[in-house]
Amino acid sequence: MNEGYVVRNLRVCVRDHVIVEDISFTLSPGEIVALAGASGAGKSMSAMTPFGLSAGVASGSAILDGIELVGLPERQLSRVRAENIGFVFQQPLTALTPHRTVRQHLQEAAMQAGGSKPDKTAMVAMLDSVGLSRPEERLAQYPHRLSGGERQRVLIAAALAHGPRYLIADEPVSALDAALRGEIMALLVRLCRERGMAMLLVSHDLAGIEHHADRLLLLEQGKVAESGTARQIATSPATDYGKRLMAATPRLSERLPPLPEMGETLLEAENVHVHFPKPGWGRGRIDAVVDASLTLAKGETLALVGGSGSGKSTLGRAIAGLGSMASGLISWQGEALPLRQRRSAEHRRLIQPVFQDPLASLDPRWSVADIIAEPLRWLVPEAERDDRAADLLEEVGLPRDFATRKPASLSGGQAQRVAIARALSANPEMLLLDEATSALDPLVADGVVALFGRLQRERGLSLLFITHDLALARRAAHRIAVMEAGRIVECAPREELFANPQADATKRLIAASG
Amino acid sequence: MGRLIARRLLTAIPTLLAIIVLSFILMRVAPGGPFDGERPLAPEVRAALEATYGLDKSLPEQVWMYLGRLAQGDFGPSMVYRDFTVSGLIAEALPVSLLIGGCALVLASALGISAGLWAALRAGKWQDEALMLGATLLTALPTFVTGPLLALIFGLWLGWLPVSGQNEGWNWLVLPVVALALPVTGAVAKLARAGLAGELGADHIRAARARGIAPLTILRRHALRPALVPVASYLGPAAAALLTGAVVIETVFGLPGLGRYFVQGALNRDYPLVLGVVTLYAALIILFNLFADLIYGWLDPRMREG
Repeated sequence: MNEGYVVRNLRVCVRDHVIVEDISFTLSPGEIVALAGASGAGKSMSAMTPFGLSAGVASGSAILDGIELVGLPERQLSRVRAENIGFVFQQPLTALTPHRTVRQHLQEAAMQAGGSKPDKTAMVAMLDSVGLSRPEERLAQYPHRLSGGERQRVLIAAALAHGPRYLIADEPVSALDAALRGEIMALLVRLCRERGMAMLLVSHDLAGIEHHADRLLLLEQGKVAESGTARQIATSPATDYGKRLMAATPRLSERLPPLPEMGETLLEAENVHVHFPKPGWGRGRIDAVVDASLTLAKGETLALVGGSGSGKSTLGRAIAGLGSMASGLISWQGEALPLRQRRSAEHRRLIQPVFQDPLASLDPRWSVADIIAEPLRWLVPEAERDDRAADLLEEVGLPRDFATRKPASLSGGQAQRVAIARALSANPEMLLLDEATSALDPLVADGVVALFGRLQRERGLSLLFITHDLALARRAAHRIAVMEAGRIVECAPREELFANPQADATKRLIAASG
Repeated sequence: MGRLIARRLLTAIPTLLAIIVLSFILMRVAPGGPFDGERPLAPEVRAALEATYGLDKSLPEQVWMYLGRLAQGDFGPSMVYRDFTVSGLIAEALPVSLLIGGCALVLASALGISAGLWAALRAGKWQDEALMLGATLLTALPTFVTGPLLALIFGLWLGWLPVSGQNEGWNWLVLPVVALALPVTGAVAKLARAGLAGELGADHIRAARARGIAPLTILRRHALRPALVPVASYLGPAAAALLTGAVVIETVFGLPGLGRYFVQGALNRDYPLVLGVVTLYAALIILFNLFADLIYGWLDPRMREG
């Protein structure tokens, strides 16, 4: 029998659209092969369609251990999946059935290939091997009691429960917190090596996989742009696409790019506290931000970095006057800014936000021109408003005739540029960028980061750059503030932070991003 | 779960009190009274009657007296059906309503859920579209159209079933139960279909498919419970409405259920009767919403918290 998974001239169509064309690769036993590329490149489609787990239809050839999968009836394909393969999906939060306990998931997974029902000791061992703490307790728990990382560990344990020889992991860490990504990826690789499993890994995060995969295929718009060993592609990509993709991915090892000069201090936040009442009937409160102080100078970029739930967005919102603040003082050029309800239009002009999800932050029924010019509504006559909107579109790198479009017809990157133009139309001194590039593809995100840099140089803008991505913060910010559990544990210029990290949280973040 | 039940029953008391006091006041604000007949009563007779029933006292006093008696389980006398207590009237009419409503509830749930699930499994095909068109029609048709129509076809033309009143057997139940169940069946079918069709596209179903689990097992084990959450939230209040009597059905099929007393009581300004039925109805709504919440908790453990 021919061992391994051999894909030849794979083509995937969804309805009449060709999504993937002419992809060939081999996954030998024990090998880790990664499919990488920008979003929409057809990575997941190529990985999932031969196994009948996508909306697409495959043609060409995909042979697993001598069995041709293309054209195999669902009943037999389902047997192939059950017996040979473990799947790990992107969304750990939703990939577990909400009304079934961890024990029920593991039992089902262990029995999927005809195995016997596992006893408690066996299931505890499964959870132990994926690094889940207190495994006995977890067995009786429902998925919603677990955090995202814990759920992904349960899913990995379930994927391995029947002893498969292949693992197919579709963006297994991209929905997780930055600090967890490296850890889970290392766990997957270790399990593969220990058990001699082969893994087909789908990821858009080149920096996260280049040390783990043996071989790498870069996909561009459904075709293989480049393939080879992961190391070779990461260090010296051959194609233009590969070079752009590599350059767009921030790394801690890269040379520090120069940043514009900064001026005198504009914003000062002192001893900011934010807390929320605990949900439910009980008393008590959640301290989201504790005693946070920071300053921001004219033309400066300050990155606010931390894991999810560290309070970085809450602090940003309090500073911009978008969220509540229990105590503390926020001043602009030495003058105290009032609490959010009392801020005047002039106060609000100073700080404008750009959010993570561009499509969700644009009203789908409004035209692009109306969205951009909304802050000018009562200030500027209508004819002039359209002109201003078109000028702003040009400034953020979009054609003037986008003004008549609706948000639904924009791509993620275009929509984010429209959101930036809206923020600029108020003529702000400072932008609050709340994970403004994390929902975007690496190439598009890189373009948007470059746009922020240009706007900063041309307009002298100050940027409060909230991100979970330490390498991105290092690339884009003068200074970096690290948050953990609501506190700013360290704040230093970027060179200093990486040369001599003080706080444990900073060291952990650096280790996780390396 | 015990705490949830206890908490809900405790919060039910102020809700019930508010409903009773509000309905009491609303009834009195409405023009007319229980003794305004065709022929006016002699003033002294009227005064005597009002004194008997306590209507000569101030409104707050009357509310207080009513609540005091209610606390002892006494719904008071009917002011129009002389010699009958409200409790007696309800005790006589409630079993009929419970029987018809209960049967309709079971029929509508069974039929609606199976039809909805069947349609969801064929989502987008013609069977799905035909079934959902039928469900929309059923939901849209009022019982005062379907009731007489059913009676006309199966009672009068075909002569299979009795069209009015009760008899010794069970076949008098068929037409009113079916007529009452039809709109609920349509609504349940639409909710079940939407629930399951949404659920089948969910990530955890794809994860189960990836494990090679058989389609029917996936349906039973992974998809069914979350798919039924919207059905449960609809059936809670719908059950209370079905069980407390349907005026139109009772009138069309000549059945002595609770619904008729409610309408007659309101028209006659029979204050205690209306209040008694309102109290019963409100208590049942609260009870069935509690049932619905307990069922949610079973369908989806996330709802057990919060």
